[in-house]
Amino acid sequence: MGSIIVQLIISGIAMGFIYALVGIEYTLIWNASGVLNFSHDKLITLGAYIFGGTYIVGMQLGFVEGILLSIVTVAVIGIIIAKVIFIPLRNLTMIYTIMATVMLGKIIVEAIRLYWGPVPFSVPGFLVGTVKINNIVISIANIVIIIAAAICVCALQLFLYKTKPGKAMRCVAQNRNASQIMGIDVKTVMIITIIISMVICCLIGILVSPLLNISTTMSNMIGLKGFAAGVIGGFGYLPGAIVGGLVIGIVENLASMVFPAVYKDIAAFVLLVAFLLVRPKGITGKTR
Amino acid sequence: MKRIANRQYLWIGAIFVVLALVPLFIDNNYYITILNQMVINMIVVFGLNFITGLTGQMNLGTAGIYAIGAYTSALLSKNFGISPWLTMMAAICAGFLLGRGLGYPSLKMKGVYLSLTTLAFTEIVRIFATNLIDITGGTQGINDIPRFAVGPVMLDTNTKYFYFILVVAVLVCLLSIRIVYSKWGREFRAVRDNADAIESLGLDIKKIKIRAFTLAAMYGTLGGALYAHFNSYITSLSFTTDLSINYVIILMVGGIGSILGNMVGAVVVTLLPELLRFLGDYYQITYCILVLISALFLPNGLVSIYGKITGLLNKGSSAEGGE
Repeated sequence: MGSIIVQLIISGIAMGFIYALVGIEYTLIWNASGVLNFSHDKLITLGAYIFGGTYIVGMQLGFVEGILLSIVTVAVIGIIIAKVIFIPLRNLTMIYTIMATVMLGKIIVEAIRLYWGPVPFSVPGFLVGTVKINNIVISIANIVIIIAAAICVCALQLFLYKTKPGKAMRCVAQNRNASQIMGIDVKTVMIITIIISMVICCLIGILVSPLLNISTTMSNMIGLKGFAAGVIGGFGYLPGAIVGGLVIGIVENLASMVFPAVYKDIAAFVLLVAFLLVRPKGITGKTR
Repeated sequence: MKRIANRQYLWIGAIFVVLALVPLFIDNNYYITILNQMVINMIVVFGLNFITGLTGQMNLGTAGIYAIGAYTSALLSKNFGISPWLTMMAAICAGFLLGRGLGYPSLKMKGVYLSLTTLAFTEIVRIFATNLIDITGGTQGINDIPRFAVGPVMLDTNTKYFYFILVVAVLVCLLSIRIVYSKWGREFRAVRDNADAIESLGLDIKKIKIRAFTLAAMYGTLGGALYAHFNSYITSLSFTTDLSINYVIILMVGGIGSILGNMVGAVVVTLLPELLRFLGDYYQITYCILVLISALFLPNGLVSIYGKITGLLNKGSSAEGGE
């Protein structure tokens, strides 16, 4: 019994880190441009398809080259999306920005279906197997997710606090007009933010591909729970997204012990509404 | 102002008259089905117009609301043999409770919370509808949902049902016009345009937003109930987030905040996939690109084109007159 709980908590932490990355990825764009990116789950799917569909299954590259090449590809796509969609959107009303990103997501899904075909597939031999410590069985995928996500979060913090573009991003997040007056090129900062966000999306897509089959609907739930993670932790506050993600991951896995597994996905949304009712500022109490 | 309003009523009336005449010339059952769906969409979008169009709060949960209406009416009328008239009332009551219950947590704070909670709500409804197989039939759905009779006339054919929901749509439309041009409607628009001014006048933004959302939910559940009795069959597979998005597309393509725009949007967006069907595999992507373009370049929707054209014509004629 005890070992089952530990296993559930560990896989909960792994999923929690995924939700945390989702939370970070959309919070970055939200802070930089005031656009809530509803196409982020589709961007995650796109990352998984580029990695799995083109570089691994299609071109038979190694995993490391595959990951690096997908990140480069996604960054290029990020520049295009930033210039075509997000920069024209930044001054529009919320309804149009939301709908434009939703439609972007639908276009991506349709493009994926036309280019890679509608049949779900999996990446053979990528992060399979388990490790056994005493009675506790942990899958390698979960360990890699935890390590990779932790590295990603640390790298992002270093970037935001130690480099000049990172500092510019924080300025823009705090006050867009003031940073423009101070000589920060807001458009460039937005493009950098969107590229970083896209790269994180791509990493999420790669990391979850051993857990889920690669299909056009693979990341719908992850995307929604990432939103919930942001709200639970504190909307628009990066460390909040991490806390929120971990809470959701662990709570929903423990909930699957009590309730039937099909209702596991509801836990995140119940938490979301409960937090909005009781503590709308989130666990960390900081919102932007 | 009054003349513009009058002209708008003229167009609204004209669209309803044309819609009423269409079945006289078409007896293809498929087209009649599309017409039914079009008018149901219209009713739902009249509601969505209050919260997303006038008040400016994004509601991405119309599919969930619609599903609640459909399941409430279908289950009550099928399992308990209650008259569909009463079950539709029950569906509207469910919409009222839903609007209050979901609106309170998501609208008491400023921000984008409503779009997130409604999105999550749709997922919850879908998960329950898929997994509570004993009650909702899961993905197999519920069939043989009874049609009903208006007085002596049994609404057994799609054409008869179409005229029934057309009458409902006219009533709902009149109610919407009444609300839009009343104190409530002005409050809704004020929340969108200048929330600070509203607060300084001593009005409670939270209450106004929740009222708008409750209205949207009631219209949505009514639409869902009408859909369930029209189709006689509902399954959890149809109430997806894509459906919610479709309703916002209707609202946006037609023209946000305008009742005439809602009707134009419902007509265009319901017909567009049929017209684009010749594109085969590429029709979805073309449709999405068209909508994206309209969001970026035509923010006031199709009804704004009419204003622009008449504006240009007037400008042209006055320039001629000046010579």
